Amino acid sequence: MNRSFFAKNPSVLIFIGCLALFTLGVTLLSEAFGTGVISTSFVKTLGKTLCLCLIAIAMDLVWGYCGILSLGHFAFFGLGGYMIGMWLMYARTAQIVTTSMAEADIPPTAQEVTDAIGNQIFGVVGGSDFPLIWSFADSLTIQLAFVVLVPGALALVFGWLAFRSRVTGVYLSILTQAMTLALSLYLFQNDSGLRGNNGLSGLQNIPGAEDIPQSVISLYFFWASALALMLGYLLAAWVVSGKFGSVIRGIRDDEARVRFLGYSVEGYKLFVFTLTAVIAAIAGALYYPQAGIINPAEIAPIASIYLAVWVAIGGRGRIYGAVIGAAVVSLLSSWFTGGQVPSINLGFYTINWVDWWLVLLGFSFVLVTLFAPQGIGGLFDQLVRNRATPQRGGAPLGPDASALQEKEADK
Amino acid sequence: MMNKLLATAAVATVMGSAAYAECADPIKVGVLHSLSGTMAISETTLKDTIEMLVDTQNAAGGVLGCELEAVVVDPASDWPLFAEKARELLSVHEVDVIFGNWTSVSRKSVLPVIEELNGMLFYPVQYEGEESSKNVFYTGAAPNQQAIPATDYFLEELGVEKFALLGTDYVYPRTTNKILEQYLKDQGIAEEDIFVNYTPFGHSDWSKIVADVVALGEDGKKVGVISTINGDANIGFYKELAALGVSADDIPVVAFSVGEEELSGLDTTNLVGHLAAWNYFQSAEGEANEAFIAAWKERMGEERVTNDPMEAHYIGFNMWVNAVTDAGTTDVDAVRTAMYGQTFPNLTGGTAEMLVNHHLSKPVLIGEIQDDGQFDIISQTTEVPGDAWTDFLPESAVLKSDWKDLGCGMYNTETESCVQLKSNY
Amino acid sequence: MTNRLTTLCMAIAMLLTGLCAAIAQDRDIPSILQEHAAIIAKGSRKTIEPAIVDLRDSGQVDAQMVLEAWQAKELWQRKADGQFFTTTKNEDNSYTLFDVITGSEVGTADKKELKQIKPNSGIRGMIGAALVQFQLMDADPAKRLDALTAIDRDPNPTHLPALRAAIDAEPDADIKETKIRLERLLTIAYGADEAERVAAIESFSDALSVDVRAKLNPILATTRVATATKSTANIAAQLTPGTDLSKEDAYALLVAADLAPAAPTQDEIRLALGDNIIDGRVGGQPIATLNTIEGREFAYEALADDGLVPPLVTADEMQWAIEDHLFYDVYDEPSKAVTDAAETTLQSINTRVGFNQALDLGLDGLSLASIYFLAAIGLAITFGVMGVINMAHGEFIMMGAYTGYVVQQFITDYTLSIIVALPLAFGVTFAAGVAMERLVIRHLYHRPLETLLATFGISVALQQIAKNIFGTQARPLTSPAWLDGAWVLNDVVSISYIRIAIFVLALIFLTLLLFILNKTRLGLEVRAVTQNPRMAASMGINPDKINMLTFGLGSGIAGIAGVAIGLFAKVTSELGSDYIVQSFMTVVVGGVGNIWGTLAGATMIGGLQKGIEFLNPSNTLAAQTYMIIFIIIFIQFRPRGIIALKGRAAGD
Repeated sequence: MNRSFFAKNPSVLIFIGCLALFTLGVTLLSEAFGTGVISTSFVKTLGKTLCLCLIAIAMDLVWGYCGILSLGHFAFFGLGGYMIGMWLMYARTAQIVTTSMAEADIPPTAQEVTDAIGNQIFGVVGGSDFPLIWSFADSLTIQLAFVVLVPGALALVFGWLAFRSRVTGVYLSILTQAMTLALSLYLFQNDSGLRGNNGLSGLQNIPGAEDIPQSVISLYFFWASALALMLGYLLAAWVVSGKFGSVIRGIRDDEARVRFLGYSVEGYKLFVFTLTAVIAAIAGALYYPQAGIINPAEIAPIASIYLAVWVAIGGRGRIYGAVIGAAVVSLLSSWFTGGQVPSINLGFYTINWVDWWLVLLGFSFVLVTLFAPQGIGGLFDQLVRNRATPQRGGAPLGPDASALQEKEADK
Repeated sequence: MMNKLLATAAVATVMGSAAYAECADPIKVGVLHSLSGTMAISETTLKDTIEMLVDTQNAAGGVLGCELEAVVVDPASDWPLFAEKARELLSVHEVDVIFGNWTSVSRKSVLPVIEELNGMLFYPVQYEGEESSKNVFYTGAAPNQQAIPATDYFLEELGVEKFALLGTDYVYPRTTNKILEQYLKDQGIAEEDIFVNYTPFGHSDWSKIVADVVALGEDGKKVGVISTINGDANIGFYKELAALGVSADDIPVVAFSVGEEELSGLDTTNLVGHLAAWNYFQSAEGEANEAFIAAWKERMGEERVTNDPMEAHYIGFNMWVNAVTDAGTTDVDAVRTAMYGQTFPNLTGGTAEMLVNHHLSKPVLIGEIQDDGQFDIISQTTEVPGDAWTDFLPESAVLKSDWKDLGCGMYNTETESCVQLKSNY
Repeated sequence: MTNRLTTLCMAIAMLLTGLCAAIAQDRDIPSILQEHAAIIAKGSRKTIEPAIVDLRDSGQVDAQMVLEAWQAKELWQRKADGQFFTTTKNEDNSYTLFDVITGSEVGTADKKELKQIKPNSGIRGMIGAALVQFQLMDADPAKRLDALTAIDRDPNPTHLPALRAAIDAEPDADIKETKIRLERLLTIAYGADEAERVAAIESFSDALSVDVRAKLNPILATTRVATATKSTANIAAQLTPGTDLSKEDAYALLVAADLAPAAPTQDEIRLALGDNIIDGRVGGQPIATLNTIEGREFAYEALADDGLVPPLVTADEMQWAIEDHLFYDVYDEPSKAVTDAAETTLQSINTRVGFNQALDLGLDGLSLASIYFLAAIGLAITFGVMGVINMAHGEFIMMGAYTGYVVQQFITDYTLSIIVALPLAFGVTFAAGVAMERLVIRHLYHRPLETLLATFGISVALQQIAKNIFGTQARPLTSPAWLDGAWVLNDVVSISYIRIAIFVLALIFLTLLLFILNKTRLGLEVRAVTQNPRMAASMGINPDKINMLTFGLGSGIAGIAGVAIGLFAKVTSELGSDYIVQSFMTVVVGGVGNIWGTLAGATMIGGLQKGIEFLNPSNTLAAQTYMIIFIIIFIQFRPRGIIALKGRAAGD
């Protein structure tokens, strides 16, 4: 089974090889274990990019393979970050508070310790009491479980409601967008108990690892992200390779026909939606300790739309496409906005890339959608193989006009 | 603009080879202000201010015989990106000092990085206090330098007995309102006479809230509004106030986040008499201010205005230059020590002094909005020393910050111990 | 507290008035000004009283003029000798000085030698109150009104007789009415006897306005007291501890009234323990046991037994103390007849206020709905009729708003500029919409999900281009003067004209679109293409052209919505993205492909949002959050919106 899986999917091995080489290279060039060519801040950027690649894989699964254009997957990403952030914040504050209170002449009561922690965490947003959702924040195990369970449960409930009432297509996209907007607006409120607009910060300082310099910690997280990406890739490749993969592709191309064939379309969709939500959440839980701060702006609808943009540019329906798209666009983005790109002087006007990068991105996205629906990954495919496709005389590949067109499939 | 900067830098470098011969590398000044995204509206101005100050200083011979070089990055109003760019400034560009940030959340985002890499940040915006980092100098107002005096003004000068605290839903309004609520209660204002409302960023539908405020007057007490509404949400708010004809004599509004810059997007004829509290107004009289405004307008254009955070950068930058000169090095620890007790003349008159808690002593000004979008200064205090930990919340009253003698930013005077050396963000 | 302070001030003021009237009779104004030069220059409401009183009671006719000049920030002080002048500014930035009284020119001075006296609005109010006696009978009706406003803002008992004396001689009927009304209001607070006040109160039983309530509510202000014996004061209510007020509050009242010993708080206990550590033990207990409340109280009791600290108060002791005393809410107003009358009157007023508040809320909801409708209707056409998602719709709104701004840069007359801006905004966005349809959307009709992404790309680019051109600062889009202000039905119900204008605009477009779609050839063709493009094509309709025009129309309306939204809110590059999600919600909730549906959706969302805001007034964000959650749930039950298309047109 295993052998046949890799044999059927040679790209998986290639990908893992590339990833391993890349990880090794970064390690050898890093400040912590190597020559120091790559600065710690860039290691963090690369680590974060790997996490973005992971959520892009999730997006590709749900959109490229299952045809659900979810504009809300960053909600799960953010929730994952919040769950781990709660523990990081609580544990670090608890350490500070207990150390400082131990110096008082009268030993503190348990309530006083809790109050002091609460005051430290919520003082900046005008509160001091612990909301209910922080009940388990002192336990790493439970919060780690929450990383998977909370976004998973949200996806399950939301997906069940949406798929059950057969909301599809554009409606579903808007509904998922509404979900992430509602969540971000909710978190923006102070009453949500997660520090409102301020969010959770200082997450890069890992409690209990104060003696390890950031250059090393960032590398640990980089490795963890690489590992997660590899596992995510394997999982995604495995999911789409078998019969299950055929069914979800069938759902993408013609939902009604698959339903007529007796498959529980809702069940399949719900499974993919929830699975990808969990992958997104894990990516988020790895991302935010590297970013250092999470706040509700991270899960605003625009983030999820960008996610779709990455996947589309990278090439839908191929897992490596998603990885390429996320990596290329997010790295280019940080390069252009970093102010390091030389401006272009046109004589009458100077193109300053900090100002014009988004315009370029916007239009290139339109161009990709119009002329290269397969994205960068599609170019890749053309280079690597030249698989013959059956001639259908120009008929749609699916049953109706909205299905994949032959001239698109040929590209 | 960027191009102009590059050109200036290039010319300066050519000249530098001769003029700054004793100095191999220029001294790098990091500028960490958003040039894109929602905060660009406010922060771009501050980037330009620092560039102007750097150029002025270079024209005056630089610092320690070295040229200054501004390293500008764009954190794009994205809070995590602030941390990333701060790390980049400190570890890749190896800047000696950073001037930056506007929102509190962005400051909280860079704090761990600055503290870890022992950088030095000058933060120029009025903020909520309750923080003191060894690596940050707060040149904007702490609550006791803006919010508390303004509230006193309401209580004593205007006789306000009922308060509406309107704010945008984020850290600064939340904490400020928490302090103000406690302060008002201490001053004998009953809890039911304090109305608090939070609105999202960029809120535009103000009719209901303004109506609620007007209705507060129904029990015969004079109503005043303390506004911590941020950014362009103010435009809708003031438009609605003007439309309902809420006169400043009936319901005065004092704003902590509305300056000359924000008013330039508004027709202020119907807002005359409403108030703002700052440490600086463009209309302040004095030669230093006139020179500063003239230099700014010459560089940026006639229609541009100056505001409070710009003055904060002006003071902070000059103090830093003097401290570096005194210390004879740009080493962060040496400069920090030299910063304590540094004085520099305010643009509004009087002298600002850097205190051991990393805050400035500055005068508090209250201005009435005029129909030309400027403020008429009607009240000016003597210098008020900034207080990192407010005296009006019981849990903060026992804390004090003294980085010079106690070497601690969060010192509990009750237990006489240092609660923490690094900030808890 | 503040009330007491005011009373005190008033008493002092009256005392001073009496004194000064005797002494100051023969003093001239300049000497009064000089005497108080320091406090006038200081300009604090707390200290300014004597200066104003002396001027008022100087008996000089010029006092009014001087006070008015002072109030209008026209007084200047020469720093050298502290003399006061009025001034005019000269060409060379120097100032010509005039005598305050005679107005004769007395020299010039440089700006630096002068200090402008800027009374703050508190002082201006006091000056206004002092001016009342001069202005009430002034020949200028505007000044008489000023005086009435001053009384309304800052009444004091002396105003009542002055006002009564000024009623009969009032020539202007409107002002006379205002005076009479104000007299009734003042009588409520300062009337000489009970009957007079009760009559005044009852005369307002059909009133609604804030100022009446502002006079009645203070009469009903209560103080909470604890007494050992039955109270004889004007009692509002007797309170039962445990139900009307918590036991802790009741005990705190007792402590405040010195009727019971204060119970040490946990903090005080901790500090007391800390102060009494002897050899690592407190009260004989090792320190390590003090990490629980019980442990601490045990140690504290040991200290209390030794007389080192005040004793603990046990729960039983508290209970006994509470049971031994009576708790009341007592009116500050001693007269029961007055409080009863106020209560009855206020009750009837409040019923009406509640009703009007609901009306006001309704108006607000309607206004919000019309804004959403205007923002969404263009989307409803493109999305509903053509099945195309246009994420750049918000940016078309923004383009409209910026068009309005640009027009105002060229046409300074605001009315004219709006008249020009509306069709121009339509034109600009119509053209942009048509261009986008031709260049992008036409190629993607088979892939609706991808139009979403492609138009998103356009949206990002347009937004950034706007930023590059206009900068990130908000730009002013000023409404014409006739749209300033508000339509005020009464003190509770009011709505700004600009919102009414938007409402009217929304109505116009509703009618216009209904007319176009239902009564014109174009509408017929649009509907035909919507229902079945191939069949329509075979009937000789060119679907390409129809799609293009429909898209242009939808975009054009977005442009007009942009001008409207810019007028009432702000013009920034993010204007569009603020409305885009709400617009989608409106269309989806209302039901796609139907203008009535959009109307229903907008009404529901606007009304709902205001409703939630009303329930939770301190948190506007919550209203938006719960509204979206509501919409998500709503779509579960009506996936096709409020008004769903039936049959083949539904498109399944």
